[in-house]
Amino acid sequence: MAIDLNGLSIDTSFPELRRQVTQEHVNLYAEASKDFNPIHIDPEFARQAGLDGTIAHGMLILAYVSEFMTSSFGQSWLTGGNLIARFKTPARPGDTITVSGKVTGLQRGNGTLLVDCDILCQNQRDEPVIICETKVRVKTDEDSS
Amino acid sequence: MAQQEIDYKELSNGYEFTPVDFQPDDKMVTAYLSAIEGDKRIYGENKLVPPMAVAALAMASMAEAISLPPGTIHVSQEFQFLGTVSINESLTSYARVNRKIERGKFHMLTIEINVTNQNNAKVITGETSFILPLA
Repeated sequence: MAIDLNGLSIDTSFPELRRQVTQEHVNLYAEASKDFNPIHIDPEFARQAGLDGTIAHGMLILAYVSEFMTSSFGQSWLTGGNLIARFKTPARPGDTITVSGKVTGLQRGNGTLLVDCDILCQNQRDEPVIICETKVRVKTDEDSS
Repeated sequence: MAQQEIDYKELSNGYEFTPVDFQPDDKMVTAYLSAIEGDKRIYGENKLVPPMAVAALAMASMAEAISLPPGTIHVSQEFQFLGTVSINESLTSYARVNRKIERGKFHMLTIEINVTNQNNAKVITGETSFILPLA
């Protein structure tokens, strides 16, 4: 786990995660997720659908959020992570997505710490791509009695 | 993962899709981690599958089963990760229509998704929502 639980407080922010979306990444994601919707992989189809070009899978960008949480909370996220996400703007190949987040709630008890966070994925124009609320329960060393 | 496709107009609240079995393998996880530029060390040491990769496969099996009209927008997504998944574990995805609401010129469709492992333990639960244009 990359963060110091004792140092967490409301408004603590986490190190940002930045990813450049490329068509190669989108194609690889299509292969891995078996989501071959042509709007993601066929520029001509996307243009006929009224877009400027292909758009990335929303779940690809949401995967960045999960990576962001995994790098901060490790195994606790993998076994007890919870997220609610709203897709605001599609991401396109060529976009740079920055994931940032801060703590909005902390509840201690029974040897665990429940951490609430607000997470934001923005593109290089500072437009929100995904707005997300997460919860993760982390075991602490404190006595549970 | 192929199953019979249903037109979204035929969906109603409570409709249950045919469960779909799948098995995330090493090749899938490698492609997934390359696509998202994920940290291979976190998963590789324990041969784990990233939870969002499992979620993506569950979503794909659900999407394969519905014929959605052009103009459909994926508006929101909820997931809770309940347990880790290892490479080559046998998983089953269950999907059910939780809400289908008509709002003006659109339908709001919310589908609950659950994924269980070979021990019938839930590893992921979630809900996905779409806005669809009325035909």
